[in-house]
Amino acid sequence: MRIGDAKQSYLADEALWTSTTQQVWFGLFLLALFVFPFLATPYLLYLACLVGIAVISATGLNILTGYTGLISLGQAGFMGVGGYTVAWLSLHTDLSLPPALLAGGLLSAAIGVLVGLPSLRVKGLYLAIATLAASVFLHFVFMEWTPVTGGTKGLSLRPAHIFGIPLHNDFRMYFVIMPLAVVMLLGARNLFRTRVGRAFIAIRDRDISAEVLGIPLLKYKLMSFGLSSFYAGIAGGLFAYFFRVVTPESFPLSMSIFYLAAIIVGGMGSILGGVLGAVFMTLVPELLKLLTTVVTPFYPEAPVIMSPLRGVVFGALIVAFLIFEPHGLAEIWRRIRRFFHLWPFRT
Amino acid sequence: MIGKLWQQGRRLAQAAGLAFALTASGTAAAQSSQQEPLVFGGSIPLTGVFAFAGIHIHAGLTDYVNWINAQGGINGRPVQYVMEDTGYLVDRSVAAYKKIAGGKPPCCYYGDSTGFMKAIAPELNAANATIMSGASFATAITDVQQHPFQFIPGPSYSQMFSIILEYIKSQAKDGKKPTVAFVCSDTEFGKDPIENGRAYAKKLGIDVVEEIVTKPGSVDVSAEVIKLRRKRPDYVIFHGYILSPINEFMVQMRQMGLDTKFMGTFWSSDKLIIEKMGKDADGYMGVMPYNYFDTEDTGPMLEAMREQARKSDPKQAYRPTPYVQGWFNAMVWTEVVKRTLDAGKPLTGENLKAALESIKDWDTGGIIGVPVTVKDHSFPVGRIYRVNAAAGRFEPVSDWIHLD
Repeated sequence: MRIGDAKQSYLADEALWTSTTQQVWFGLFLLALFVFPFLATPYLLYLACLVGIAVISATGLNILTGYTGLISLGQAGFMGVGGYTVAWLSLHTDLSLPPALLAGGLLSAAIGVLVGLPSLRVKGLYLAIATLAASVFLHFVFMEWTPVTGGTKGLSLRPAHIFGIPLHNDFRMYFVIMPLAVVMLLGARNLFRTRVGRAFIAIRDRDISAEVLGIPLLKYKLMSFGLSSFYAGIAGGLFAYFFRVVTPESFPLSMSIFYLAAIIVGGMGSILGGVLGAVFMTLVPELLKLLTTVVTPFYPEAPVIMSPLRGVVFGALIVAFLIFEPHGLAEIWRRIRRFFHLWPFRT
Repeated sequence: MIGKLWQQGRRLAQAAGLAFALTASGTAAAQSSQQEPLVFGGSIPLTGVFAFAGIHIHAGLTDYVNWINAQGGINGRPVQYVMEDTGYLVDRSVAAYKKIAGGKPPCCYYGDSTGFMKAIAPELNAANATIMSGASFATAITDVQQHPFQFIPGPSYSQMFSIILEYIKSQAKDGKKPTVAFVCSDTEFGKDPIENGRAYAKKLGIDVVEEIVTKPGSVDVSAEVIKLRRKRPDYVIFHGYILSPINEFMVQMRQMGLDTKFMGTFWSSDKLIIEKMGKDADGYMGVMPYNYFDTEDTGPMLEAMREQARKSDPKQAYRPTPYVQGWFNAMVWTEVVKRTLDAGKPLTGENLKAALESIKDWDTGGIIGVPVTVKDHSFPVGRIYRVNAAAGRFEPVSDWIHLD
């Protein structure tokens, strides 16, 4: 049982890790992330990269929807902006990954700020529709601006490179995606220890009160859109480098819904929630396949019968989480931690 | 420097893994490679928007593998079919490929979409171990430089348009120049053959009087129908759809009294259109690279396929075209693997590619009615069929057309 959690300064209270145990666990986690690609199969490595990209994008959406309370269905569109920017730069310039990715993130942020303009007048479902319209518009641009986007055929990228090293396989991409995901998560976590992050939360909790408190709504709402889109742009850029092909069909509307579902299942307004949601949404469909793989040698018809059931089970799992833990996976995680902190006593 | 460190780290881990595997497997490593199964892998869409075809493709592949194993396998080696459902999502298809390739590496692989074929191409090229074909007839795959280890199990969409246009030209009477309109969906799939189709029509002296792009699955096409009424094309060629809006166009244009003929490509030329449209489907024509399952043609492989289908599911009297497509994919893989093994070469991507490119005047045993030759990693052959709604089937109206 953990006893005593006294803080002697505000700085200590604000710290990211409030105990040595946390620091040790985080260090071990980072070590595990570093060692993982040396031991993992190509399949697991691929999934880890997918999770890394999903975590970045979900965190971006969490900043906007979870922390600022602005619903967005434009995440796939913003990812597309990042993806196409990186693809275009890859084909027309010799830029290495960092500046290309940064350009993708910044352009996406700029588009995000534009799309965020209606957020001052509309909220809730109306804003969702406004961002949906933006997503449709961006999709139209991806399809029709053929000289730049390659039209319906899309663009095939050359492998990314960094410090002269070509990033032509998942192993190397992992060492870009995972550190970036960690850095961007830390960035997001730190954001909510600053005035800006707290302003976002104030707007989410009651925008009129926030304005009365002296928070300029337009500035902070647009800032939130910009930041969220920046994260999406970076995730989209990584997606483009990872698959080395972008087409309008790479960023469908269902992708926006995927990320919205991820942060709802994981826990809105919690960085850990975004991470857990992204991991859940990416890995659970693959985990559910394992049962089919096990049964198939004994019952060859299993894939035909069990594959559609998998979708039903996945859907039921999401509904079950929403019913039994509306605060998401992050809250379940907190309860588990609390159990161990207080063991052998019960809350 | 960092790259070297990574490589060394990987090698160390791989060496440790290899040592562990050798110790664990013991004498199993000494097993005769002669009996090792050849793996046919597949990213198959058993769920998602393409599941209607995926389940039949899966059945075709499964039945073929069971059949070839009953014949003694390929040069005495059994074939193992390993697949994963993808939901027709590119990232899931890639995951399935990685998972399957991480086990026993497949020498041949079925890809479920053009998006997947494009996304996996760099890895496939680097691995140099697998030849891949699948559901995609995309013209892009015929770019042998970009896709050296991929092929199309039939004509590309552009070639399908060429075959249709050749047929239209052959039907021209009294020196009259035929006119056509292209109607395609607003997708990569839909727009694929339009540019080449336009050029081929010009070459044949056929006027393309209208090009219409719609959403796939559109219902309200009245504005587009009015455009077509103004132009009165002799033929409308649809591409990029499974059914809708083909049915809408046909019904509305016929109601206007137009005598336009309607044609489509592979994915819109199965019995679904007859089931959904009933007698209104009568006269619709499609290009098909294979014989339909219920064709009156015969051939040893055609009979073997029908027999195997009866064995696996006696209740199904008819198998849709994706079933035949799945079967044909596996047939080509078998031929390619057999040619490579016969030449005493290892099953590398390069050798499998060379074997594919050596296919000339190949007798498919009735699956395709004429001997076929591979060109640009495709089989540029097809025949025009017309719906006989009363009989509930497609019937041939042309000879086999093999593009040079």
